Amino acid sequence: MKILLIEDDREAAAYLIQALDEAGHVTHHAADGETGYAMASGMDYDVLIVDRMLPRRDGLSIVESLRAEGDKTPVLILSALGEVDDRVTGLRAGGDDYLTKPYAFTELLARVEVLARRSSPSEAATSYEVGGLSLDRLSRKVERDGEPILLQPREFRLLEYLMKNAGKVVTRTMLLENVWDYHFDPQTNVIDVHMSRLRSKIDKGYATPLLHTVRGAGYMIRD
Amino acid sequence: MSRFAQLWRTSTVRLTATFILIFSLFAILLLAFITWQSSVQIQQQQAKDIDREIAALQRLDATGGIRALAFALERISRAPGPGVYYLGDMTGQYLLGNVTDIPANVILEPGIYAFDYERANPLTDPPPSAGADKTGFAVVRSVVLNNGMRLVVGRDVVERRGFSAIIVQSFLLGVIGIILFSLIAGGITARRVLKRIDTIRDTSTKIMSGNLSERVPVTRRNDEFDGLATNLNAMLDRIEQLLQGLKQVTDNVAHDLKTPLTRLRNQAEAALRHGADDETRQQALETTIRESDRLIQTFNALLMIARAEAGAPSGTLTDIDVSAVVADVAELYGPVAEDEGILIQTSITEGVHLRANRELIGQAMVNLLENAVKYAKPQGDGEGRVTVGLRRHADRVLIEVADNGPGIPEEDRKRVLERFVRLEKSRSEPGSGLGLSLVDAVTRLMGGQFRIEDNAPGVRAVIDLPAL
Repeated sequence: MKILLIEDDREAAAYLIQALDEAGHVTHHAADGETGYAMASGMDYDVLIVDRMLPRRDGLSIVESLRAEGDKTPVLILSALGEVDDRVTGLRAGGDDYLTKPYAFTELLARVEVLARRSSPSEAATSYEVGGLSLDRLSRKVERDGEPILLQPREFRLLEYLMKNAGKVVTRTMLLENVWDYHFDPQTNVIDVHMSRLRSKIDKGYATPLLHTVRGAGYMIRD
Repeated sequence: MSRFAQLWRTSTVRLTATFILIFSLFAILLLAFITWQSSVQIQQQQAKDIDREIAALQRLDATGGIRALAFALERISRAPGPGVYYLGDMTGQYLLGNVTDIPANVILEPGIYAFDYERANPLTDPPPSAGADKTGFAVVRSVVLNNGMRLVVGRDVVERRGFSAIIVQSFLLGVIGIILFSLIAGGITARRVLKRIDTIRDTSTKIMSGNLSERVPVTRRNDEFDGLATNLNAMLDRIEQLLQGLKQVTDNVAHDLKTPLTRLRNQAEAALRHGADDETRQQALETTIRESDRLIQTFNALLMIARAEAGAPSGTLTDIDVSAVVADVAELYGPVAEDEGILIQTSITEGVHLRANRELIGQAMVNLLENAVKYAKPQGDGEGRVTVGLRRHADRVLIEVADNGPGIPEEDRKRVLERFVRLEKSRSEPGSGLGLSLVDAVTRLMGGQFRIEDNAPGVRAVIDLPAL
């Protein structure tokens, strides 16, 4: 994946570039807003990671300009401002996701990988299939190897989100944001308990587990 | 800067001067009006008297003839007073009366005149001498009688002038008196008003110099100044309370953040220690990350509380379905509670809307449920139970989270809302001591009240919000 990182903190940028490289992504770096904007509009990237406060040009204005030009490259906004209204302004400016500093790299990586997928057409798919497990978004039916599985509405939405991002790590915060639509940190293991219930419904009694726990990061569904 | 200019700057002097100016202007106008009115009155009265006298003399002339008229005129001419009388023949030649030197045109042409004259009273006045200063000034009316004789009747107005002089004199006296009076009254009023302002200024000076416990004295008069003083005092109370809160928070932050920071540092040192194997290092680093995450959480909670306490930025409070939020969070915690052997029961009135911030209400509910699930652990052989309720009561919306745990002693119920306050019993439990502070701040942000009540046994936390 080709990523453009616009971040003025050299140390943070160096760490991110190295970590993204280890995760198999090519990362270009711009240290100020103007350069970042020039690079973003001049080259084709899969994901842009944009810091909100930048020298020479504000991160949000870069995103706004790109969107105004019809550039739909997914954007992850990084910011030290984490209040509800800050997030709202960030997303309103055209950002696709918003991550508050300080963050765990696993969280950033998971979000970047899920974002990149958005540009692919599977977004509009009406059904998903992973290793014999199928989910129909219209009839709201879930089956594994032809056997129907009964899920609670919330469990259905959890599975739907996981399957939409099959093969990618989704973090607990991402689940809380996308399934419950809340943006705070789940303090205890609330999400884990929901996941273990879901797992018992879709994996119990089958030889190959589909729902995997990724240590220190989150969950992933894959065959 | 001259001393006068300095003096003029003080409100006392300016206020007094304004008072005097207004008072005096008003008094002068009033007195002038009275003076003018009374002179007009006197003039009218005199004119009427003259008319009446002429009418009486004419009647006398008609009934009693010239003899009766002459006799009467002779008599009233001699009487002392301001009366002016003149009777002339058909050509105007003096016949009798107490004035002799009346201008010819006055005698010959009927009408009203005013002129200087010399009084000729055979009994009291010396005979007129030509060229002498004329001492009288008369207003007269001249008529022609039926038989062609000329009659002039009038009043000496020198006396009236004397009267005017008296009026002017008393007028001046009055003005001086009024100026003096308004000087005193204005001075007293201004000083009384300004003294109270000075009191407020003195108090604020003391406060500025660091004594925040000073208060503006409030009198029993209950006037505007007392209203102002009461408001100022309320403001000072609030500021003092905020400052105390700030101080307490600073102390607590210092204490409560130093502890995890120390642990963090210890872990990092452990990882660097000579002879540490890979596993120890791995563990130390993982602990380090966990500790820093907790620190970040604490910071976030502190910031959220600070933001909520600073008031809502416009646009963050919107019309939300609070029933849905409460139900969401109850559902989110259902499985966790169940794993702990606790049953969450809900009784939520559906479709209740509020002007609130969804995220903040959600976070508050999470904090309350975290606590409830943490403390509702079965005691002895009892069963842990948590109830989540939302109902409308008159114009309030009550959100309740209750457990049947050990509860909070009455004397601690206010204290646990303060930042970083953790009761002895809960010290062993994980937590930052910020959960309830956040709930309290969020509730107040939305114009409500947060209370902790006795659930007998256990805690009932009530978020009491104004309905939409």
